Amino acid sequence: MNQRAHWHVRDIILLALIGILFGAIFLGTNFIYDGLTVVLTPIGLAPMANDLSMGIWIMAGPLAGFMLRIPGAGFLGEFLAAIGEMFFGGQWGASTMISGAVQGIAIELGFTLTGYRFYNWLTLVLSTTTSTILTFGWDMFRNGYAAFSPQMLILLLVVRFISIFFFGGVLVKLITNLLERSHVLNR
Amino acid sequence: MNASMKLLLVLLISLEVSFTHSLSANLLLISASLIYLLIHRTSLKAIMFLALVPFLPALGLFVTIYYFSPGQDLHFAWVLFTRMYVYVTVGASFTLTSTPLELALSLEQNWHLPSKFAYGTLAAFNMLPKIKSAIVTIRTAGLMRGVVLSWWSPQLYFKAILVALNWSENLAQAMISHGFVEDQPRTFYRQIKVTGLDYGFLLGILVMIQLPIWLLP
Repeated sequence: MNQRAHWHVRDIILLALIGILFGAIFLGTNFIYDGLTVVLTPIGLAPMANDLSMGIWIMAGPLAGFMLRIPGAGFLGEFLAAIGEMFFGGQWGASTMISGAVQGIAIELGFTLTGYRFYNWLTLVLSTTTSTILTFGWDMFRNGYAAFSPQMLILLLVVRFISIFFFGGVLVKLITNLLERSHVLNR
Repeated sequence: MNASMKLLLVLLISLEVSFTHSLSANLLLISASLIYLLIHRTSLKAIMFLALVPFLPALGLFVTIYYFSPGQDLHFAWVLFTRMYVYVTVGASFTLTSTPLELALSLEQNWHLPSKFAYGTLAAFNMLPKIKSAIVTIRTAGLMRGVVLSWWSPQLYFKAILVALNWSENLAQAMISHGFVEDQPRTFYRQIKVTGLDYGFLLGILVMIQLPIWLLP
């Protein structure tokens, strides 16, 4: 695939729009996170709500990386989505932006590992792996994961990987397949 | 205070409390942010909303740390509970008192963000009300054909992306026809400056919060 190394104002608007569009879709799904928290709290697994919904939160990044195929698109897509979420009724205030930056770097790293040369399942597995590890490391501090037992940590890590793989991998691949088939992306 | 400097301060505070365990510093930051918000005449309704939003996740973390973690550390449970509120209140002292326009102008003029990024994202963010109605339209159009587009359906995202592609093309054309040229130097009608007072506030507040963070439990 040929890649353009240059950003045009059209690409930037597109990335920001995608970020906000995804935010608008998830606005209606915030109750999922809260509902999961309510269900999981009595059995001591409240943080799992975070890991379960992690995949939904990072979707904008891999999708942007796959659509635009410009180095930095994965990071920027995720980061702009986080800024959008922060300004328009975000649940987490300023830490959204920090989380957005961490997630963006994590996703971008997966694309960097391929050298931006190929965009297939391996790319999605790589970006799933890097985002699982990096976001988990950030939660060790932010959400106090360091205090949990090792069994719980492994459980949370596995759940997070599955969630990111499903939403940021399978779903993103299905969406880009639809886009490829309709030939709307002029690359 | 200059919007980007305020954002920097908010980010630095949020980053530092993520790595430190001082309950009193958290409480101090929450009260200081609430006072700041009240000075800026934030409506009580908005402040009540801030109190409600992080409650469930904060409670979930508290219960998990206190009842289900090996250490059962009550102090750390409270630290995490209040930390969620620090994020939200400190963040709100930025988001409820600054607009995306102020931030974009400041980032462009004070921190040399390329103008295509500043105005490109701003153009997209200003479409927010239309974006919400676009999603409703897509879903309703699906329902009229008897197709339910749930939030995990690839078709919903596909259609939303088609809308985004269309709009981004139109917005870019509109900007160009209004005389916007990428990567060209621009002059500014509305000048935004970073003053010595901004630096004073940034450093002063950062130094002040180090005392409770490191000395008080």
